[in-house]
Amino acid sequence: MIDVPAISIRGLSVSYGRKRVLSNIWLDIEPGVVVGIVGPNGAGKSTLFKAIMGLLDQYMGEVHVLGKPVEEVRKQVAYIPQRDDIDWHFPATVYDIVVMGRYPHKGLLRRLDAQDHAIVRQALQDMDIAQLQHRQIGELSGGQQQRVFLARALAQQADILLLDEPFVGVDVTTEERIIQILKKLARSGKTMLVVHHDLSTVQAYFDKVVMLNQRLIAYGDTDTTFTEENIAATYRSQLPILHQAGLVE
Amino acid sequence: MDFWAVIQQEWATRALIASTMVGLMCGVLGVFLVLRHMSLVGDALGHAILPGVVVAFILVGYNTLGFFIGAVAAGMLTALGITWIQQHMRTKNDAAIGIVFTAMFSIGVMGISWISHEEGVHLDLKDFLFGNVLGVADQDLYLAAMTLVMVLASIIILYRPLFVSTFQEVVARTIGIKVETLHYFLMLMLSFAVVASLQTVGVILVVAMLITPASTALLLSKRLKWVLVWAGLIGVVSAVGGLLAAIVFETTPGPAIAVVATILYLIAAFIAPEKGLAMRTWHRIQLQRRIEEEDMLKCLFHLCRSSTPITIEALAQSLGQSPRKVRRVLSRLKAKSLIDDKWQLTQKGRARAAALIRAHRLWETYLAQRTGLKPEHIHADAERLEHLLPEEMLDTIDESLGFPSIDPHGSPIPPKEGLPDHPLSTLPVGQQARIAPTQPDEQVVAELWRLGLPPGTQIECLETDDGEVLIRYNGQTQRLPSHIARKVNIELVK
Repeated sequence: MIDVPAISIRGLSVSYGRKRVLSNIWLDIEPGVVVGIVGPNGAGKSTLFKAIMGLLDQYMGEVHVLGKPVEEVRKQVAYIPQRDDIDWHFPATVYDIVVMGRYPHKGLLRRLDAQDHAIVRQALQDMDIAQLQHRQIGELSGGQQQRVFLARALAQQADILLLDEPFVGVDVTTEERIIQILKKLARSGKTMLVVHHDLSTVQAYFDKVVMLNQRLIAYGDTDTTFTEENIAATYRSQLPILHQAGLVE
Repeated sequence: MDFWAVIQQEWATRALIASTMVGLMCGVLGVFLVLRHMSLVGDALGHAILPGVVVAFILVGYNTLGFFIGAVAAGMLTALGITWIQQHMRTKNDAAIGIVFTAMFSIGVMGISWISHEEGVHLDLKDFLFGNVLGVADQDLYLAAMTLVMVLASIIILYRPLFVSTFQEVVARTIGIKVETLHYFLMLMLSFAVVASLQTVGVILVVAMLITPASTALLLSKRLKWVLVWAGLIGVVSAVGGLLAAIVFETTPGPAIAVVATILYLIAAFIAPEKGLAMRTWHRIQLQRRIEEEDMLKCLFHLCRSSTPITIEALAQSLGQSPRKVRRVLSRLKAKSLIDDKWQLTQKGRARAAALIRAHRLWETYLAQRTGLKPEHIHADAERLEHLLPEEMLDTIDESLGFPSIDPHGSPIPPKEGLPDHPLSTLPVGQQARIAPTQPDEQVVAELWRLGLPPGTQIECLETDDGEVLIRYNGQTQRLPSHIARKVNIELVK
């Protein structure tokens, strides 16, 4: 099993109407790493996520998760959407959200048993939010909200976590704390893909980096891949901005 | 006529049963409608079933089952039409709803007035618009009961997928929930409920039954399960209450039901726990009073330090408040024994003031270090947040900043309560000091004895590194980690 990549993408191309969004992507991601996904707006980052979640209607190529077609291993993939897509007034407590992670294992009507609740409690403890479990989700800070969704992914016992800009609206201290949590999860064999915008922290946060701009510009260890040359190739259209930010010479 | 005599008559009993069922199913179903931002769709479906009824009348005559099928068909057609426009045209969602339902409604109204021209037709437009709950037939009751069972059963069976897909549609898709199918199924249930409500409240006001009880319930609970229970209950109370009110005041039942639902909403909006206006106002007043008191404590603390005599005038001037207000706040502080009769801070008052100053200066330090804002820009922000930052967050900030002892303006940051006035961690290299006789932490004293460092021991600092200190005493050296060094109180040796 060790040889099976967590995610294997072979020749993926996606178009919306006439517009090509992803072009011939070949990518194998091994298990147990925290991967940053960087690229300008419209680079196809969210389309790549959709492909891995099996939500694309039309595409060319193959996407395998843990060696199987996505449809067969949906339970193993947990998606953590951007925070601004969420209705924070929704009548749900922290516990209600985390327990959702058990639904894929239970179908429509099977009751949640003691074991399910034990898994949920463990997830709450691991994310250090057990004391907040009766709060309505809108009554939390940005960092706490993010940990609620991580806890749901843990309760789902998913092996692959897809995080869409998890650090937006979260303070620096919490951001560092979340990245520590992700690194710990990676050590236990889970694979994390993180869409990330702050190029200044890529080096510190991620083991590996996917650099995307419709094509796959580069993938590999952050040390050797996140180079000025690759950044320039990825953000070609936005060079003046990068120049100002001092990220390229 | 005597009220009790009226409601014991058969038509009244039937009307009551019909309203109860309609109130229950609309209330429960409405919760999902409101949460999915589809309130307008409920309104649209209500209006749009009219042509279905007309077509059914032309085909099979006056027949409840026929009306039901025709109406549901028209409802589904409307739902499909709206969705099609939303997905294929560059028309905004709410505009798409408006286009489809007004068109359907108009066709329906024209149809009814056209067939009413023929003689012997007892199809009254008014009954469809405002309901005719007092003319409920057995067949109507059976249909409503069937609909109720179906709606409630579907919501119980589909509770999990409905919950997930209403809260986060994308997440629902990723775990394999058929979101589109669920959407159309909900539309079907909605058409059923709307048709069943036709007799009670009519097409114009059915939206009140759908969204008002649900919105009221959303004010009352923060868990979906309980919101559903509340919504059902409030729906029943509105429907039955409205019907009884209509009988008593001899008015039209449909509008009376809508008015009762709205009154219940207003009551909840005022008194609901947490979300109600009354509670929110109360909390705001409490917060305002706390801020006044805390600002006063800080002011007293500073005046104490500068040994300025404490007068009402001095306080009023430095706080920018009227002398009357100052007196009121002072008497509140005295009642809480934070100050004594001479307006001197008590031990408790001093601790509170120090905690506030700690919050203020820590936040300023945090902003200055992490955001690069200039020290002169951050005072106002800290002035506001010192009252609001929770203790544990301050501790986290304190730790992440490495327990700073001065703020960006150069003022000392008081240590957390229970920490020493002169912590060992601030002892400069080469300086001599003594372990102070008074130590705030019992456990630290025990640790000091274990290290052969009882109070009174003379020490010298050799090295400091990020709060960690290397000290020499009695001819030996000892490295103390920062979490201990911070808690040891020392006295400088002159």
